[in-house]
Amino acid sequence: MSTTILSIENLTMKFGGVTALNDVSINVNKGEILALIGPNGAGKTTVFNVITGVYRATSGVISFEGSEIRNQARFKITQLGIARTFQNIRLWGEMTALENVITATDVHKKSGLVGALFGMPRARREELEDRKRALEMLKFIGIGEYADRLAKNLPYGVQRRLEIARALATSPRLLLLDEPAAGFNPSEKVELAALIKKIRDTGYTVLLIEHDMSLIMGISDRVIVLDFGAKIADDLPSKVQKDAKVIEAYLGVPADAS
Amino acid sequence: MKIRNYWNLRDFGAKIWEKSNRVQRIIIASVSIFLIALLPFAGNGILATPISAYDAVLVYPVAIFVLMALGLNIVVGKSGMLDLGYVAFFAIGAYTMALMGTLTGLNTWEIMPFGIVFAMIAGVLLGLPTLRVRGDYLAIVTLGFGEIIRLVALNSTWTKGPNGIANIPMPPNIGPLEYDLFNQKVFFWTVLVMILLTIWMIRRLSVRRPGRAWEAIRQDEDAAELMGIPTLKYKIWSFTLGAAVGGAAGVLYASKNLFVAPEMFTLNVSVLILACVVLGGIGNIWGVIVGAVIIGYLPERIRFLSDSRLLVFGIVLVIVMNFRPDGLLPRKKREKAITKKGVN
Repeated sequence: MSTTILSIENLTMKFGGVTALNDVSINVNKGEILALIGPNGAGKTTVFNVITGVYRATSGVISFEGSEIRNQARFKITQLGIARTFQNIRLWGEMTALENVITATDVHKKSGLVGALFGMPRARREELEDRKRALEMLKFIGIGEYADRLAKNLPYGVQRRLEIARALATSPRLLLLDEPAAGFNPSEKVELAALIKKIRDTGYTVLLIEHDMSLIMGISDRVIVLDFGAKIADDLPSKVQKDAKVIEAYLGVPADAS
Repeated sequence: MKIRNYWNLRDFGAKIWEKSNRVQRIIIASVSIFLIALLPFAGNGILATPISAYDAVLVYPVAIFVLMALGLNIVVGKSGMLDLGYVAFFAIGAYTMALMGTLTGLNTWEIMPFGIVFAMIAGVLLGLPTLRVRGDYLAIVTLGFGEIIRLVALNSTWTKGPNGIANIPMPPNIGPLEYDLFNQKVFFWTVLVMILLTIWMIRRLSVRRPGRAWEAIRQDEDAAELMGIPTLKYKIWSFTLGAAVGGAAGVLYASKNLFVAPEMFTLNVSVLILACVVLGGIGNIWGVIVGAVIIGYLPERIRFLSDSRLLVFGIVLVIVMNFRPDGLLPRKKREKAITKKGVN
């Protein structure tokens, strides 16, 4: 069996009287592409927000590589090795694409403010390393030619990819992608699918929220379905497609069946 | 459109700078610094300030405003936190000089590190609890902090309350350079050196990790934190560095003025310094300098208007902000090719 990288046990998230997630357990295995799907409002993005520390879970255990991360600060969770992208793009618009990525590579660097001020050899060396690594990252994602353009001026598709590059620049072991294909046309989706596979094959684990079923079915190793904050299916893509509960959640129950 | 381009001094300057090589840059920089250092001798022509002494005006308000505006710009411009209590750090520096100068017999240069450190400590103490709030809330908290420092100075016996502290020693002479109240050119040069050090510090940090972290925090703080940037730490650094510059300005101001009193450190000063930053162009150090020079110098230049001068000053500010809402020399991120450049 493959090893677990992230395990979420009995996670419940309440906002006042609203239960956004109800006793959800999710296991993410190392090296897989796990898709998280479900109708609007099912709680998919809430799962991401709880994992990355945006929300504090009401109850439950989240452990990443064996250590509990539920009450860690948000930047600590990223430093531990979980990075994410955002459903609505949140790049730093007035930085260039390269600067966006360099800023994210800073996560694990040691030289601090004083080093930067006096141009100590270590700060200088790290600066050059960062830049090289960031450029490599942009090329890996396939947007190397946009390195010197301001993020806000980039085409939409490139912005989406830049978000992925920025997340990867923090050297995560687990990458959370929140609807990376939103607004993409079919050919862009095909390219994205190839990219996500490439990311997985390079050694990252990917947890993915997506609405596009053909994309999901094409690349996922496993699919988890959420509905009204509860997990209703967790299986191979081909089996999930035929699951009665999943079909019901998406399409409703036929009138004559009741 | 034509006029706009013609007015674009910022890009004009940036273009010259980018085309120059290292040697040319050193020449441009040293000639500019030399010309600015000559300013105290240019008091007889159009620059003259009626009524006030020209050389004194150059030191305070003009040069000290520039210094403080640069310090405030680290907080407001670089990391996007609205600080309405900046005068507090200036006051802490000034009172450090006043108290230590009159009580211990240390000279200005020996007290300077104390003033800077005390201001930085105040920055950390204020920053730790308050930098968790953002935007307008932060503005209110800092505004309160500025007032607290002033009220403490006003109501404590050890600060001599509203009477203030007199007989603060002047800085000792440096070789042939004599500090003289009737000819303040040496004071001006001193502040000029401090300004240059501050510019060096800001430019250095801007292109490195701290500058990027500040920039990210300013543009989207949540995204910054989720990308692994310890935002609170960098915000406190930004606050503390701004405080250090304010404290240094305060020490020198007290040592030049020979007297400090609580009424010098009102909210007015914070607002004026913020006006320097906003008028010049938030986040752009050259803009901030221009803004501070105008706000420091203009009211003195038009002092002959006597009672209506503040009205005219206000109208000028309104007109400028109307035509240039982003400031005189606004920040603009050019799409510069840092991929090809080395580390400076």
